[in-house]
Amino acid sequence: MFKLERRVYPSRKTSGLVIFLSFLLAFFVTGLIFYFLGVNVVQFYSIIGNVFITPVLFLQAVFRSIPIILSSLGLVVAFRMGFWNIGAEGQIYLGMVAATGIVILHVFYDAIPVSLMLIAMGVASFLAGGAWCLIAASLKAKLGVNEVLTTLMLNYIAMLFVDYLVYGPWRDPEGWGFALSIPFPDYATLTFGGHPSVAGITISVAVAALVYVLFKYTKLGFVLSVLGKSSEVAKYAGMSVGRATLLGSLISGGIAGLGGFYVVSGMIGRLRPRASPGYGYTAIIVAMLAQLNPWLILPAGIFFGGLLTAGDALQSLLRLPASTITVFQSVIFLCIVLAEFFMRYKVVLKR
Amino acid sequence: MSVTPLVELRGIVKKFPNVVANDHVDFSLMPGEVHALLGENAAGKTTLMNILYGLYHPDEGEIYVKGKKVKIRSPADSIKLGIGMVHQSFRLIPVHTVWENVVLGLKEAGFILNKKKLAETVKKVCEEYGWNIDPNAKVWQLSVGEKQQVELLKLLIRNVDILILDEPTSVLTPQETKNLFKALRIMAEKGKGIILITHKLEEVFEVGDRVTVMRKGKVVATKPTNEVTAEELANLMIGRPVLFKLEKPEVKKGNVVLEAIGLKAMGDRGVLALDDVNLRVHSGEILGIAGIAGNGQEELVEVLAGMRKAHGGRVFIDGEDVTNKGVKYLIEKGVVYIPPESTRWALVREMRLVENVALKLYRSKDFSSKFTINWRKLFEFSKKLVEEYDIAAHSPSILASALSGGNLQKVVLARELSTTRDGKVPKLILAAYPTKGLDVAATEFVQSLLLKYRSLGSAIIFLSEDLEEIMMLSDRVVVMSRGRIAGEFLPTEKTIEEVGMMMVKDSAA
Amino acid sequence: MSIEWIEPVLASTTSIGVVYLLGSLGEIYAERSGILNLGLEGIMAIGAAISFIITIAWGHALAFLVAGIFGILMGLLLAFFAVSLRLNQITVGLAITMLGLGLSGFITFPTTRKIILQTLNPELPGAVLETQSVSMLPSVPIPLLKEIPIVGPMFFNHNVVVYITLILAPLMWFLLFRTSAGLKIRSVGENPGMADALGINVFRIRYLTCILSGMFSALAGAYFMLGFQPFWIEGMTGGRGFITLSLIILSTWSPLRAIFGSLLFGGIEVLQYRLQLFGLGATSPQFVLMLPYAIAVITLSLLSVESFRKRISAPAALAKPYYREG
Repeated sequence: MFKLERRVYPSRKTSGLVIFLSFLLAFFVTGLIFYFLGVNVVQFYSIIGNVFITPVLFLQAVFRSIPIILSSLGLVVAFRMGFWNIGAEGQIYLGMVAATGIVILHVFYDAIPVSLMLIAMGVASFLAGGAWCLIAASLKAKLGVNEVLTTLMLNYIAMLFVDYLVYGPWRDPEGWGFALSIPFPDYATLTFGGHPSVAGITISVAVAALVYVLFKYTKLGFVLSVLGKSSEVAKYAGMSVGRATLLGSLISGGIAGLGGFYVVSGMIGRLRPRASPGYGYTAIIVAMLAQLNPWLILPAGIFFGGLLTAGDALQSLLRLPASTITVFQSVIFLCIVLAEFFMRYKVVLKR
Repeated sequence: MSVTPLVELRGIVKKFPNVVANDHVDFSLMPGEVHALLGENAAGKTTLMNILYGLYHPDEGEIYVKGKKVKIRSPADSIKLGIGMVHQSFRLIPVHTVWENVVLGLKEAGFILNKKKLAETVKKVCEEYGWNIDPNAKVWQLSVGEKQQVELLKLLIRNVDILILDEPTSVLTPQETKNLFKALRIMAEKGKGIILITHKLEEVFEVGDRVTVMRKGKVVATKPTNEVTAEELANLMIGRPVLFKLEKPEVKKGNVVLEAIGLKAMGDRGVLALDDVNLRVHSGEILGIAGIAGNGQEELVEVLAGMRKAHGGRVFIDGEDVTNKGVKYLIEKGVVYIPPESTRWALVREMRLVENVALKLYRSKDFSSKFTINWRKLFEFSKKLVEEYDIAAHSPSILASALSGGNLQKVVLARELSTTRDGKVPKLILAAYPTKGLDVAATEFVQSLLLKYRSLGSAIIFLSEDLEEIMMLSDRVVVMSRGRIAGEFLPTEKTIEEVGMMMVKDSAA
Repeated sequence: MSIEWIEPVLASTTSIGVVYLLGSLGEIYAERSGILNLGLEGIMAIGAAISFIITIAWGHALAFLVAGIFGILMGLLLAFFAVSLRLNQITVGLAITMLGLGLSGFITFPTTRKIILQTLNPELPGAVLETQSVSMLPSVPIPLLKEIPIVGPMFFNHNVVVYITLILAPLMWFLLFRTSAGLKIRSVGENPGMADALGINVFRIRYLTCILSGMFSALAGAYFMLGFQPFWIEGMTGGRGFITLSLIILSTWSPLRAIFGSLLFGGIEVLQYRLQLFGLGATSPQFVLMLPYAIAVITLSLLSVESFRKRISAPAALAKPYYREG
């Protein structure tokens, strides 16, 4: 009756349609799950919807979406070159560490002039995140080690490293013993334009544009795209696969590191343990939802930022746990993964 | 009284998009015989056997096994019928032991595996056929010949009566070949039937009882081996084709562009693929390399293209030693490589035409600056190529996957041969089976293209399975057999039959 | 230092080690058949959460049963996506982990928990609905054996689940390496094409191993809750599911070596607490905590070196979807 036919190559329209349908499916399935768990589904969805139509809440959504957007843009670079970077979370943490480190260097050692602070922090977090990703990438390039587990393991190491710093050498001496770093001075926070979101959006748009340009116009971007499609063809074309892998992962981790910079500098104003509620993992879902298109990352990221904001409202209004949103996110993720199947195969009616 | 054949294939027809692989083929295998299946590449032998083995389904025709009509849907079906096949690439698990590989899935092995007993059983079967493998050895430790024995053991322990071997000696040393044939004779004596796919004439006579020759999908003859001579077989294999003349202008040969001395290289299966190869090509010359595929031709061009490491010997281009300098260096020197199945390995199907063109040209100063690629220029250039090469694409922005095989091949050629490589004509063109799978029009197109570059002064190495084509296009021809050059001559000096003999004879003879 | 503090340390090592061991037993089978279950972490969390809820509502025994059932369901989900639909196992696994973590947090949250508990067992008194912890599994010391110095307290003074797991491990090793069923499973993970050609049902085997992996992971989570840490904290699994994955690599996919691996990782965890007691913890505990992850990365790298690859390597077809050719 029904037969599955392999598609030659899905058009953008088909992909878009399939993703949209899977999105709807996610809404449906989540509703079902929560219905059976005793949640008022209608209220649930209206609270979420409310976030996007209320200006104040929408601003919050944008605010919280920035680290997701940035790390997701980093993942776009990695995934497009076929490098499964599950370590965005760890790269974010390293970015946080580097930015904080610059602040500490400045405050305690006067090593960096005020005017250069933000730039130095940005550069440092980029390099730190990039270097962290390079660890896994070099293991892959030199020894052929699969990057999924290595990047994942490095996430935990990074998180523990931050713990170590804030419980140890970087603990604020005037912080009454709490595990916090010193607060960042005003000029080291991303508050220009009034609200950190402004800085955040500016950076995000700029990075999205850079990623777009990278893949559309540069030689490196072209090499990365080919690498992601077929490493054999890349070899045949005389492209240096190893070098491209390293460069690409440096950029990928670096952009995620910028996300960490934003977290400590624009959101919290200091370094503390577990500063990321899984931004790096949410970034994976966003990247897949946006089909690795840098411009689509922006709205997709804002949607997930909105979910985080809705999570707060769900907690206060419906007394639901934050993990409610995680359930919703994971169902979306599963539906997007399922969508891939329908992009590969067409369902055909056979008589 | 006539004996029931083990296998009877009647009127088998199998068509693929461009070609009729099996054209009403009749074939039979008697118990106790070793039946050689002889023919050039693409003659249809492997397809026919894949049908018997259950990998393909025939479009028409019937299969009888031990007198009963059957339908074989998968390899699992064929094993149940007692049919087993040993392929050229082995299907073994290197990290498991010999007995683990052999005994996998065998009901008689029981639930709890008794290592000692099973190893002994395997050893006993080995001894029946004169083999000496340690059943407890891990498969990765074995030699190629021993691995093949394990493949055979897998079948023999399942009481397979009909064995199909696909070019089994292509990876064996002469001693291993002798052992294999001894074992095959023992199998035959036990009443089993063996089909031996081969292109080596001497094997047909050494171990075969009957031989069936196939050519272009049809069975040309089936004869007992003691009633036929090698020359007759060679004739039947190659046939007497109608030579269709192509205008080949007189071109003056120039200097030596490429010189290879004593080239040695390993193949993918760990066997020596190139064994002391020497050759020279001049500018304005087409050197055709003939020989049954799998004798080192592919590896040779891969080495010359920088895609494979040479373990011995030297390569010189215009007198400069370029041995093992890598793909990028050679591309810059003006070496163009059109790989076999280029539409698979030289193109990215999911990318657009213009992007595929860019695969080789993105570094060129005409289309790029230090960091960026000038897509507009590439787009214009691709449009020109589409016109020049008559590619059926309405715009360079369509996806490669939307093009047919012939057109894709044209894209590869267009890209590789484009003269705007900083304004120079390719110095050396390595064309490996460029016309394979193409229809007549596309084939003619490719051939005239090669001649055009010959006139422009490129040195060309040309590989083809079609002997007519080689004789027609080449200025000089070498024949490769077993990784060595078995002979060199001008097309006018020899007849096709003589060349055919050279191709199938053992070069060491 | 006297010998007295060693024995409790060893006992705790086994106690926590069993969490890893249980989880690895099922996943070893899955990976040996070619399936990588990155959903382990989430399934473990679900197992813990379910066992928490069900223990309050119905008691210990049913807790393990229901947790196991949920584990099987998650395993089936994985199998459907990874084996039937042949989707990318990495993304599927990550999604399942997120789902598991989310659901586990959800059902144990005070307000939502109450609703669920009341549906399951309407007769529960109000105080119980509010409870933060559950009773642990009782210890069943084995009379004579527990007196043996060192080994006694380490292995013979635990709850039933520990004993069952310690017996299961060698049994599962035997099943995997000494039976034809085990040979089939291993072959499917090394060369599914070869197994298929010999008439083995690759899909059925992979479905079964996925179910095993899900079930054991959930049981590991249930044991973690009921045998080790009987109060729910969000995120209590703390990456132990992922550590189990690295442990499996370290144990080179063998249930017997997994015993040592899990004791090793268990020991590291226990040591971390002890070191703090001795004042070494002030600056270093995080570095000790990093050890499991760092060791995993190092092992992965070592195993990739060519000379090792042939002798001790991952199943060749791991995480590669199987398409039948022809």
